[in-house]
Amino acid sequence: MKRVFGAAFTMAATVAVGLSWATIGNAACGKVSIAEMNWASAELMANVDKIILEKGYGCEVELVAGATMPTFTSMNEKGAPDVAPELWANAVAVPLKKAVGENRLMVANKSPITGLGEGWWLPPATVKKHPELKTALDVINRPDLFPYSEDKSKGAFVGCPAGWGCQLANANLFRAFEMEKKGWVLVDPGSAAGLDGSMAKAVERGENWFGYYWSPTSMIGKYKMHKLDFGVPFGGKENWDNCIVKPEKDCADPKKSSWVKSEVNSVVSANFKKNAGVAMDYIANRVYPGAIMNGMLVFMTEQKASGKDAAFEFLEKHGDVWEKWVSPDVAKKIKASL
Amino acid sequence: MEWFFNFPDMSRSDLREFKKTVDFAFTDFSRSYGAEIEGFFEPLLMFLVWFEKFFINTPWPLIIFGILVLAWIGSRSIPVVIGTFLSFMLIGYFGMWEDTMSTLAIILVATFLCISIGIPMGIAMARSNKVQAVIVPVLDVMQTIPSFVYLIPVVMLLGIGKVPGLIAVCIYAIPPIVRLTNLGIRLVDKDVLEAADSFGANYWQKLFGVQMPLALPTIFAGVNQTIMMALAMVVIASMIGVKGLGLPVLRAISNQYLALGLMNGLAIVVLAIIFDRVTQKFGLRMQKYRNDGKD
Repeated sequence: MKRVFGAAFTMAATVAVGLSWATIGNAACGKVSIAEMNWASAELMANVDKIILEKGYGCEVELVAGATMPTFTSMNEKGAPDVAPELWANAVAVPLKKAVGENRLMVANKSPITGLGEGWWLPPATVKKHPELKTALDVINRPDLFPYSEDKSKGAFVGCPAGWGCQLANANLFRAFEMEKKGWVLVDPGSAAGLDGSMAKAVERGENWFGYYWSPTSMIGKYKMHKLDFGVPFGGKENWDNCIVKPEKDCADPKKSSWVKSEVNSVVSANFKKNAGVAMDYIANRVYPGAIMNGMLVFMTEQKASGKDAAFEFLEKHGDVWEKWVSPDVAKKIKASL
Repeated sequence: MEWFFNFPDMSRSDLREFKKTVDFAFTDFSRSYGAEIEGFFEPLLMFLVWFEKFFINTPWPLIIFGILVLAWIGSRSIPVVIGTFLSFMLIGYFGMWEDTMSTLAIILVATFLCISIGIPMGIAMARSNKVQAVIVPVLDVMQTIPSFVYLIPVVMLLGIGKVPGLIAVCIYAIPPIVRLTNLGIRLVDKDVLEAADSFGANYWQKLFGVQMPLALPTIFAGVNQTIMMALAMVVIASMIGVKGLGLPVLRAISNQYLALGLMNGLAIVVLAIIFDRVTQKFGLRMQKYRNDGKD
């Protein structure tokens, strides 16, 4: 219930602020409103954008609290806020396509964070010890490297906790890759804490571990987990939407597939393009390497840092990353202001 | 006067250092001794796996027959036996046989473990006030600490699965048997003990010949409560990967599957009621014999 009210409030606030911004005229860069979504990586990105646009391009930036649906609705209906740095587009695919077609919104950056999404992971020590394990197909042939504690002759594949959407996808992929026949057991970790705990225990001890997780998260960053290539291409939308994510009884014949790509975009309004055109290049170039983003998330969790603290930390520590996003004199201006 | 309105707390950085030190100490401990501790529990794990397989692979009529015989031996009551039979038939009919067997296996082992550790602990407590003063606060902690507080360290040490699940169940379920054993022995009439003394009974004769038999009804109430609390922990144990009736409940909770949750929840309740009735009747019978003056 709280969540519903929260979302409604956020939406109202977003719309209201958006309106006031949209009506004010703009100078060289002018006023820009950026959606600060309610999860860590998006908070960081919004705050970095704010600092760079203000110090580097002379914009006047206001951060607006947001969440995927309310923020997108407001951008779609009112053209404000101007920028959504990290919009998970799968949830709004159809209206986004329409808005882009009508030139009301623009996808300024198709993947602002690399290595993002769900998939199967290995600890770094395992990858180092067994460089031959290049894809999921290689790993699947070596259940002996990942012994299951309750039956040492089998390999343990740690799936998704009971009741999560990804549980079905993992179970169906488990069948598609014929892992049972190859000597694997699909382990249900029971809860997020169970999943985190099993991964943490294995990595801390230098043991092998093979299982499901997603990025960007501080767990992936903390343990520097390696995302495994599936070794097969994406098996098509039809296979994924009508089989892999369905219960077993509705998915008689799952086909091998890599995990569906999570579409994450930086979306800007037409207004932003008009008023802050100089900054469009920045938004387009701004690609966070996954490892750095995960590292920042670890920093945020461990230090209990806000998005703003983390943004300064990022700008101070990772100059080599962000200086490539902007022209040298803009970079100089930003550096001077830190 | 600032200290009056603001609590003079530790500075944020000191607090962070403190937390870090504790975390690192535990991580170090887990790295250096984790493998040994896991090795120590390996036989238990193998036994648990074997026991679960035994329950699942034995043909169902044999299992039901065995349970009915045990129910009869325990309760000597036809209604209880019939109720047990119907309950297990319904559980099987609704497709929960395998999960129920997994749960039954781990609960039986947990109960056995709790009793074999708990009763000696209770006896030691009854014997010495000092021991009691030490153990009572420990039991208080075990009963009230939120389970995830100790689940996470246990998982870091032993991984997910049956053994950490069993430990979690026992931490929660062992206090009643300890407390009630202690209480039962302490409540034995002083006059009776004096009589035993005057017959020249030594400590062990007094313990097993007088105190334990007189305390048995109370101890049995403890066994009963331990089983109940173990069953109550089934869902929590599933949150660290224990197979059984808890997993479908978790699945139901996160997806609002009303029927699935209700069915598996009720299966846990049915197990609890059967255990409860059988042990209650068993305890009552002991009391009856005592009152009749038989043994």
